[in-house]
Amino acid sequence: MKTLNLLLLACLMVIPFQVNIAADTPENTGVVQNPGTDLWRQVRQRDMEIVGTSQVKFPGANVMINVAGQEWREYRVLTLIPKAGLVIFLGLLGVFVFRILRGNIKISNGRSGIKILRFSQIQRYTHWTTAILFIVLALTGLILLFGRQFLIPVFGADAFGGIASLGKTLHDYLGPVFVVSLTVLFVLFVRDNIPSPKADLKWIMRGGGLFGKHASADRFNAGEKGWFWIAILVGLVLVISGLVLDFPIFGQSRETMEFYLVVHGIAAIIMIVASFGHIYMGTAALEGTFEVMRTGYCDTNWAKDHHDLWYEKVKDTQVDSSQQVQSGSETDDGAQRQSPDTA
Amino acid sequence: MARMKFYCDAERCIECNACVTACKNEHEIPWGVNRRRVVTIRDGEAGERSLSIACMHCSDAPCAAVCPVNCFYTTNDGIVLHDKDICIGCGYCFYACPFGAPQFPEAAAFSSRGKMDKCTFCAGGPEADHSSDEYKKYGRNRIAEGKLPLCAEMCSTRALLAGDADMLSDIYRKRVINRGASVLNWGVSYDKIKLDS
Repeated sequence: MKTLNLLLLACLMVIPFQVNIAADTPENTGVVQNPGTDLWRQVRQRDMEIVGTSQVKFPGANVMINVAGQEWREYRVLTLIPKAGLVIFLGLLGVFVFRILRGNIKISNGRSGIKILRFSQIQRYTHWTTAILFIVLALTGLILLFGRQFLIPVFGADAFGGIASLGKTLHDYLGPVFVVSLTVLFVLFVRDNIPSPKADLKWIMRGGGLFGKHASADRFNAGEKGWFWIAILVGLVLVISGLVLDFPIFGQSRETMEFYLVVHGIAAIIMIVASFGHIYMGTAALEGTFEVMRTGYCDTNWAKDHHDLWYEKVKDTQVDSSQQVQSGSETDDGAQRQSPDTA
Repeated sequence: MARMKFYCDAERCIECNACVTACKNEHEIPWGVNRRRVVTIRDGEAGERSLSIACMHCSDAPCAAVCPVNCFYTTNDGIVLHDKDICIGCGYCFYACPFGAPQFPEAAAFSSRGKMDKCTFCAGGPEADHSSDEYKKYGRNRIAEGKLPLCAEMCSTRALLAGDADMLSDIYRKRVINRGASVLNWGVSYDKIKLDS
């Protein structure tokens, strides 16, 4: 065996001389280049796709090596997932710290017991539809991002497969519904969310009332307008990237899908963390806020506290006397009269 | 323990697609799914080469790394398999794979692709060996019978090799030595090498 190998090796030694004589063309002077080296150096490159032909015809079948896949894998596993987890944790921590520092913010002078209409029925329904869709989409999306790390140890691999499958199905079918809902929300709320530079800047400088002095606001204050525009603009990014991903039937390449997956993921994390702030402010942060979107009516003292400019505009037109807590006799300016029993 | 790999000898592959056909036939793979394919570069020019590409059963498999439900596993022989019952058809493995090995039976709206299917090295799946469930989902299990993948067995020029990585590299090394001049001089591979005796 060994002698045979040595014999073969000896023959190999002879061949370069043979080649020089055999390939006696003007180009072959000296070292003969392996015609395969150029080809395989190209194939080995990391920065370009090697495209050939194939009898198999799925999109991308003629690509020998897909170089973008590893970049996406590394980004998703090593960067996106850990950073997203950190950002979400910090967001929750921020809300928590704000609660500790500021506590529950009461209506100054307490409730008046008199209600005025703030949100119409269609505005409420649209808000809650969008909100519930968003919650389901966010949770199912987070399952796809973090489920492998956190939920498989809890549920086991087989059960989690079922959960994730249901989650993905919900996510894919509710996504387009969210598109419609968000559009309706935009149309209903955009008019009062147009920035008013002077008033909004003043509100921001006063921290919305956090830094002591009272901050005036119209129907929506600068904080709410900020959330609206985040929801619409980041939501638009989510919607567009989501639709590209949800309908991969238009010949999208792998690189396209990977790009939109990254965009969708980053936008989703931004939206989710921003929603922590909105949800907290809309529910537990302030006295008298949650009932407004729940019923459509707000307490007049709450309105004076937080949206005084709006209250001045609407106080004579939108009082609903049937919403009054006290059934006292009505006067001409019944909206402004304090009910005697409230301090 | 063996480490199972494929190796396609580009000098021998003649793009006959017998490997593609053998695989599709043996495992009764549905329309549109192609576990194996032959890619030809520099088609029609000098230096044309073809490679038969399927799952390469990577040691650090990108498909396994990105799967959101962790449905991949590696056998003791180094074969990368997955569980179709857990698979949710998200497509991430297809995006990450450098070779485009994962395939899906559907391309429908709402991102519904069906369960991922790919080359199993003819080693079936997590179901019991040789059960009808295993055959329906993953195809034939030749490894459990002690046989090698059918694509390599059917290769008309023995370009496609499949088996233990050490053995494959041994075979290929011998080929390179025996070929000698063919890689250095186009067209010599099928002529006799004249030795200067």
